[in-house]
Amino acid sequence: MRFFRLLLLSAWACSFAVRAAVPDHQVFPAQGPQLLLWVASERGRAEPEVHAAQQLAAQGVETWSLDLVAAYFLPQLSSSMDAVPPQDLADWLRVAQASGKRVVVYAVARAAVPVLRAAAMLEPAERERLCVMLMYPNLYTVAEPLAEPDFLVLGSLSGLRVHVLQPRRSAATPWLPGLLDHLAKQGAATSHVILENLREGYWARETPTEFEIAESRRMDAMLLRELNHWGCK
Amino acid sequence: MKRLLGVCAMGLLLAGGAHAAGFEARSATSAPELKAQDLAGAQKTLADYRGKVVLLNFWASWCPPCLREMPSMERLREKMAGRPLAIVALDSAETADEVNGFLSKMRLGFPILLDPDGSNTKRWKVFALPTTFLLDGKGRVRYVLTGPTEWDEGEALGIIESLLAELPAKAKSPERGPLTPK
Repeated sequence: MRFFRLLLLSAWACSFAVRAAVPDHQVFPAQGPQLLLWVASERGRAEPEVHAAQQLAAQGVETWSLDLVAAYFLPQLSSSMDAVPPQDLADWLRVAQASGKRVVVYAVARAAVPVLRAAAMLEPAERERLCVMLMYPNLYTVAEPLAEPDFLVLGSLSGLRVHVLQPRRSAATPWLPGLLDHLAKQGAATSHVILENLREGYWARETPTEFEIAESRRMDAMLLRELNHWGCK
Repeated sequence: MKRLLGVCAMGLLLAGGAHAAGFEARSATSAPELKAQDLAGAQKTLADYRGKVVLLNFWASWCPPCLREMPSMERLREKMAGRPLAIVALDSAETADEVNGFLSKMRLGFPILLDPDGSNTKRWKVFALPTTFLLDGKGRVRYVLTGPTEWDEGEALGIIESLLAELPAKAKSPERGPLTPK
């Protein structure tokens, strides 16, 4: 009986440890078979992103929204994303996969770094069940004028499907082929789409164009369109 | 909790390590090839500006910091009229229509070059806009600035004057009319 009690206590302690490592996130529940894990950029979660998450849930796509700078009390800097423990995110991905839904991670800007590092920590079978959408990912170690770009080595991404969303109006657009090539070299199956007439972070710009304002309001539709066209179901 | 504190400490360390934007001196690096058309369709290369100090600015019409610094580049052009300074603004990866749309709102007297396929942007390894290269009279890259500045004053003007001062006496003598005609 004492042994049984000890066993139960150990199981409770272990489950707490696993849950403690999972970062705090907002849940927008839905009954559909898809689960979108939305990881906001190093600038934090913006109101249009919350609105889009609500809209996605209303259309049956359960959405978990994670703001890494808030969850880890980090400054709003690209380098902050590099300080996020990937093991926590790997645990989060496993919890999401345990839901039985089809899991798609959507990471913005430098948030791609901890997400891909976490994906690299998964078992190959877990990684093959995962889809990742990256909005203008920043994977540079160094990007200095007149020097070849240097990308982070993130670990094995074999079996991982990665779809890059690249706003046309971005200094990174001419460099997209090199970034896709880098992801492919690490084993990812890549695809991409160019988002015309949009800038990086168009939903949170100080001086947005009318088109950007309109697109911010239909981010849910854009993401659903990409999910469906991409075929990661 | 320890992990959380560790993450916070690392974040603060990284934040503290961030540097303010400034001019980066280069040890007379040879410049990549520049091959672009201007808005009239004329082909331009660096050879067109040989013997002059060149301010080569990579920009785009959708980039607010790029547009903020443009008026100061225009004031610099006016201030330097007749002196051997060429101001060249190369639009990165946009169409002529997009550039002309912007120019209808802001009148600029220096030449605008087009790079619709981004090939010059890639040759010069430009990863952020605006990025500006200052070339000496021998066509070598001497300074690089990532981000905007006020070009007609302070450090920017001082650097340009220092590069002009390196030119042979003949090149420094005032010319008739502006070097970057409207």
